[in-house]
Amino acid sequence: MQWLDAIIQGVLLGGMYAQYALGMALMFGVMRIVNIAHGDLMILLSLIAVSLAGVLPLGNLGLVVVIVPIAVAAGWTLQKFILNRVVGADPLPSLIATFGLSIALQNLMLEIWSADTRSLPNSGIASASFQIGPIYVGLLPVIVLICALVLTIGLDAVLRFSRFGRGLRAAAADTEAAAMTGVDPKRIYATATAIAVGILGLAAIFAALRATVSPSDGPAQLIYAFEAVIIGGMGSIWGAFLGAMVLGIAQAIGLRIDPGLGILFGHLVFLAVLVLRPEGIMARKR
Amino acid sequence: MTETPILSTHGLTGGYGDFQALFGIDLHLMHGEVISLIGANGAGKSTFLKSVFGLLPVARDMVRYEGDAVGGTPAHRMVQRGLAMVPEGRRLFVGMSVEENMRVAIDHARVSEAEGQWTREHLFELFPILKEKRRQPIEDLSGGQQQMVAIARALLCQPKVLLCDEISLGLAPKVIREIYAVLPEISAAGTSIVLVEQDVSLAREASNRLYCMLEGRITLTGKSEDISRDDIAAAYFGATNAVA
Amino acid sequence: MTTEIKHMRVQRQTNSSRIAMTLGVLVLIALVTMPWWASSGKIRWAIELSCYIAIAQMWNLLAGYAGLVSVGQQAFIGVAGYTLFVLAQNFGVNPFIAVPLALVAPAILAVPTYFLLRRLDGPYFAIGTWVVAEAVRLATSNIDYVNAGAGLTLRVMTQYTQHQREVGFVILCAILLLVTIGGSYWLLRSRHGLALTAMRDNPVAAASQGVNVGKLRFFIFVAAAVGTGFAGAIYYMAQLRITPGAGFDPFWASMAIFIVMVGGIGAIEGAIIGALIFFFADRLFGEYGTSYLIVLGVLTLVIALFARGGVWGLLQKLGDHPWFPVRRKLIVED
Repeated sequence: MQWLDAIIQGVLLGGMYAQYALGMALMFGVMRIVNIAHGDLMILLSLIAVSLAGVLPLGNLGLVVVIVPIAVAAGWTLQKFILNRVVGADPLPSLIATFGLSIALQNLMLEIWSADTRSLPNSGIASASFQIGPIYVGLLPVIVLICALVLTIGLDAVLRFSRFGRGLRAAAADTEAAAMTGVDPKRIYATATAIAVGILGLAAIFAALRATVSPSDGPAQLIYAFEAVIIGGMGSIWGAFLGAMVLGIAQAIGLRIDPGLGILFGHLVFLAVLVLRPEGIMARKR
Repeated sequence: MTETPILSTHGLTGGYGDFQALFGIDLHLMHGEVISLIGANGAGKSTFLKSVFGLLPVARDMVRYEGDAVGGTPAHRMVQRGLAMVPEGRRLFVGMSVEENMRVAIDHARVSEAEGQWTREHLFELFPILKEKRRQPIEDLSGGQQQMVAIARALLCQPKVLLCDEISLGLAPKVIREIYAVLPEISAAGTSIVLVEQDVSLAREASNRLYCMLEGRITLTGKSEDISRDDIAAAYFGATNAVA
Repeated sequence: MTTEIKHMRVQRQTNSSRIAMTLGVLVLIALVTMPWWASSGKIRWAIELSCYIAIAQMWNLLAGYAGLVSVGQQAFIGVAGYTLFVLAQNFGVNPFIAVPLALVAPAILAVPTYFLLRRLDGPYFAIGTWVVAEAVRLATSNIDYVNAGAGLTLRVMTQYTQHQREVGFVILCAILLLVTIGGSYWLLRSRHGLALTAMRDNPVAAASQGVNVGKLRFFIFVAAAVGTGFAGAIYYMAQLRITPGAGFDPFWASMAIFIVMVGGIGAIEGAIIGALIFFFADRLFGEYGTSYLIVLGVLTLVIALFARGGVWGLLQKLGDHPWFPVRRKLIVED
């Protein structure tokens, strides 16, 4: 029963990781752009949410309505002014540029918000739980999981069936040929990054609700997102979701074995996947 | 010339960074014409097409479309103006099906499928094999079939000018004939064509006028049916390179 | 009509490099004699700067030549440091002898790490190295043999006088610089250097010319790990104390990236310039803490966007005066 509980907690944790991973799957899996500041952007949005909540009488839903557009704008700006300059065959410039951005953002956040941990006042939603059989399940984690699932289905559908999705996949497959077919690669990448960071905006609010956030938390979230995407298979949106589940479950099981081992267990499972099935669970046919 | 050419270049120079590949190309295409551009490997034919299409930087005045100076306009905007390219090596979108490749063009075409000359149905009539394989990933198609998809994709941009870069490359003779058989129909629909080719006979048969390039310069031009084989040989390989 | 070539030679040294070489020898001599003319504080500076230069050179070799961007070199710094401490404290090995012995650890770690990560694409390889470093850090924090999170102290160093310690350190630093800078230079001038440059520019083309890309990358990865570990061992030996948080601190990676990118990637000169810039900026502005780091981050971003060749790249535009020339010039004399 302990193990069943661990698995359920792991799946719920995976829901949170899936929200981090979806944006990364879109940016790297589809556009082959790496954003080292991915986690830091989320933390920044969380901290903005916390500050806004302290000043304006916004409920959680109100925060979503305010933060997600900010996130979308931030993503669009990031792509247009920074990442579009470093898109290309050589991954080094985008890696280094976003690395520098990450350091700058983390320290900027430390300057503004100091190292204190913060969270959103949650009017009990974080502690509400309900019972399924003998197991207690938190309400908030379930909401997070459901949102993650909806986002995954939605994003996958957008990529497969929409005009934008086709254009993005074309630009990712061959940027020059896409331009020759009428696609404006820079604009479509900017829209994609806007979506990726928009999703992070939603994740940011959930993160601040379920736990505390502090300015240096970014790199950890980046690593979880990255591990989820690799375990699931690069280039696959559903892969990111499943990878997040696997990661969550691995960490939860590790935690059961020994409280200090949760995250390490996640890393070990990730490394094991690299050894046994490096293309990921849902790898596309080659 | 009483009529304005639909596409013309004026002293087009350019290349890749420090490497100059084109040394003042003057070329024009009249509405409804098919012109061919022949030359050996490395003559600069593909570089020329890329420069016209905005994929390489050129000065504004060097390229004129329907009378407007358009040199250096980015490729996706050239498509909106009315150009389309069948690129060298086909360059289809890997990981997407035949139909999806075609739909990308439809999504971003100059005019909608309903208003334009080219519809999917029309193209499936032109290339029946594509209809059969419409849902298959393009990686599964043969070279010739991929070339058909590339042409279909370009036509679905509803172009007034179609640039074809070595569409016979790497294909079996039978397949080349099938593909070239389609060109007159494209021309009849009102699309003007620039045909870049290494194969001289193909180029002569398919075009009204011909340009020959050597080392970044035009060495010969004239009506395809009037130019002699000897003239072409001299222009293709370079008269100065001939053994004295 | 033919011209007869009477005499030709290949020139490798330039005027600038002869000057640089002379200065370099002088610097090394000055370094090794520091215990006799410099204050302890300045000697500590010299040790730190040497470590920064070494770590940066190794990162440059990895990223600038082998095309392997690593954000996890701190793994090798930490394991070398810890191995040194364990050998000296728990096994009673002379600490100065223990330094070269400790280098076995980063080498052993590098081998499986490379094979694990080599199939990952550029940026994913980078984050993969980070994960490995984090995994090693977490594992170390949980192992009681090395005192888990509390870390180790190098008490055996108290058996030496201050002067003796300093002599030992400067000699080690001189060897470190010779091995890392000299080693990089030797490598780049050898035929492997040509292969590396080819690999950096175009791995597929290089492979088609017979360059064994995989083998060379593996060799560079392990060599860089050992070089980085060497610097780490010296650094923590001087600190006398190591903890998982310090030895495996991701800041080592940030520092290496900053130094190499600002100094100029792909050039030995660049790594040296970058280390000097970083070192003095740290002394001058380090007290401003986060603001200083914001500037570092923004500077890295700006360099990556607008001046990819770094400071050395900008200097090269003014004139080609390499300190470590790797090109060969054909001189025809008649």
